[in-house]
Amino acid sequence: MALFPIISNFQYDFVLQLVPVDTDNTMDEVAAAAAHHSVGRRVAPQPGKVIRVRRQGAAEFYPRTARLGTTDIKPMEALEFIFCEA
Amino acid sequence: MPMLERAEWYDIARDTNWTPKYVSPEALFPDVMTGAQGVEMAKWQCYDEPYKTSYPEYVRVQREKDAGAYSVKAALERSNIFASADPGWHSILKAHYGSLAVGEYAAMSGEARMVRFGQAPGMRNMATFGMLDENRHAQLQLYYPHDLVSKDRQFDWAQKAYHTNEWAAIAVRHTLDDLFMARSATETAIMLTFAFETGFTNMQFLGLAADAAETGDYTFASLVSSIQTDESRHAQIGGPALEVLIANGRKAEAQKLVDIAIARTWRLFAILTGPSMDYYTPIEHRKQSFKEFMQEWIVGQFERSLIELGLDLPWYWDKMIAEFEYQHHAYHLGLWYWRKTIWWNPAAGVTPECRAWLEEKYPGWNDTFGKCWDVITDNLLAGREDLTHPETLPVLCNMSQIPICAIPGNGWNVKDYPLEYEGRTYHFNSEVDRWVFEQDPIRYRDHMSLVDRFLAGEIQPPTLAGVLAYMGLSAAEMGDDAHKNAWVDAFRPDPLAKNAAE
Ligand SMILES: [Fe+2]
Ligand SMILES: [Fe+2]
Repeated sequence: MALFPIISNFQYDFVLQLVPVDTDNTMDEVAAAAAHHSVGRRVAPQPGKVIRVRRQGAAEFYPRTARLGTTDIKPMEALEFIFCEA
Repeated sequence: MPMLERAEWYDIARDTNWTPKYVSPEALFPDVMTGAQGVEMAKWQCYDEPYKTSYPEYVRVQREKDAGAYSVKAALERSNIFASADPGWHSILKAHYGSLAVGEYAAMSGEARMVRFGQAPGMRNMATFGMLDENRHAQLQLYYPHDLVSKDRQFDWAQKAYHTNEWAAIAVRHTLDDLFMARSATETAIMLTFAFETGFTNMQFLGLAADAAETGDYTFASLVSSIQTDESRHAQIGGPALEVLIANGRKAEAQKLVDIAIARTWRLFAILTGPSMDYYTPIEHRKQSFKEFMQEWIVGQFERSLIELGLDLPWYWDKMIAEFEYQHHAYHLGLWYWRKTIWWNPAAGVTPECRAWLEEKYPGWNDTFGKCWDVITDNLLAGREDLTHPETLPVLCNMSQIPICAIPGNGWNVKDYPLEYEGRTYHFNSEVDRWVFEQDPIRYRDHMSLVDRFLAGEIQPPTLAGVLAYMGLSAAEMGDDAHKNAWVDAFRPDPLAKNAAE
C-alpha cells in the first residue's frame, strides 16, 4: 500500500480537486473518496446510482473492483467520476 | 524673459541619444534588455509618443492631483460612509488593495526598465513619468487602507499579501512578475502598458471609480480617478513601440507578446473584477454585468485599437469571449467555497433576487452554477455549514495559479489540460494557458504551484490546517461569507420557520 494522489474531476462539480487515495483501493473506494469532496457539498446526491471511474476523455470505465495499483493510472492524473445506473 | 512654448523645444530636449565612445552600442543596450529584436536604434527615432509633457508641468499637475485626493480623504475621515457601506463593498476594497497596491511597485520597476533600456528617447521620457506615477500609486494605495486596519484587520493585506504564499497573492505575483518584472524594455512597453493597462486596468479603474461614487465611497472614487488619469497617460507608451516593430517586419513577434499578455491579464480580471461586479456589488448598485462590461470595453474598444495598429485579434479571441459567460462564475464559487484561504470576505450574492438577475444576464445560470449553489444553500438551511467548507485543495493551473474550474451542473465541461514537459506533468485551465507555457517553457517550468509544493512535502503538516498556516492567514484575517450567511434567510419559506429551527 502507498499513498497515491489523484485529480478528481467529478461530474456536475465545477473544479478539479486533489484527492489522496491508496494503491490498495478499489475503484469503488476511489470513487467514494472523490465523492466525499463533491457530493453533498456542491453536487446533489443521486440515490440508487453508482459512481464509476474513467480516465479523462475515455469511453470505458475501470472495473469497479479493480485495485488502483493494478491499473495504468498515474499519480495526479485527472480521473472522471460519473453517475451510472447500478 | 519670454519663455519658449513647449512644442518649440520639446523634441530637441528629449532627444537624449548619443554615440557611445567607451563601450559598444551593443554593450550599452544589449538586445536582451532592450527587446528591440534586431531593429536598429535609428529605426526607433520615429517613435512618437502621443502624450508630451515636461517635468515642471508633470510636477505641477501631480501636485494638484495629490492635493485633491488627500483633501477628499481628510474631509471624509469622520464620515460614516465606510461603516454604512455594504460588506460586499468592503470586500471589493480589500481584494483590490491586496492584489494591486504592492503590484504598483512591480509596474514601477517595469517603467524603470523602459527608462534605462528603451530604444526611443520618447519612450524613455514617458517612462520616467510613468515610473513616478507607479510609485505614487503604490504609496497612495498602501496609505489609504492603512487607516482602515484598526477597523478591520483584513485591510492589513494591502501591505501583506505580496509577502505571503497565499494562493491568490501567488497568482497575481506570478502574472506581474512575468509581464512587468522579467521582460525587456520593448516587451514591457507592449505587455504592461499596451495589453495590461490599455486593455484592462485603464477601463477597470474607470469602472471602479463609478462604482465607488455609486456606493457613496467618495474617498475611494477620488483615489481611483486620480490614479486613472496617470494610467491613461503612461498606458500610451506601448502603441508607438508596436508601430515601430510592425513597420520593421516584427509583426509576428509583437503579436505573440500581445497575445500572451492579454491571456494572462484576462485571468486576473476574471477572478478579481468578475466576482466584484456580479456578486459583491449589491444588486441595486449594479449597472452592467461583468460580461456586458467586457463586451463593451474589451471587445468593443480594445479590439478596435488592435486592428488600428495593424495587429490581428489573438488566435484565442473567440475562446476568451466564450469564457465571459462562465469563467468568473466558477472563480467566484471557488473563492467563496475556499473562503478561509483569502484575505477578504466574499459576498455569496445568490439570494433569490440575485439569482433572477444572474439568470437574466447569463441565461442558464440556474441550471449550471445554480445547481452547486442549491446544494450549498440547502446545507446552510439545514445548519450544516461544515459542508460548505472544503476538506481538500483544488488543483491549481500551472500558468494562472488559480483553481482549474469551469461550468458545473447540466453544462458540465470541467477539464484538465495537461502537458508533459521534461518529465514533469503540468496542469492547465485551458488550451490558452497551456499555449502560453509552450511559448517559453524555460521561463515557466521551475515554478511550483501551491499544490505542487504540497505534494513535494514543502508544506508541513500536510493538512488543510498546514496549508492555511503556510499561506500566512491568521484566524482574524481568514475570509468568511461577507454577510455571515444571512442571505440564506431569504430562502426560508416563512419568517417563523427560522425561529422554529433554532
Ligand atoms: Fe499604476
Ligand atoms: Fe500604470
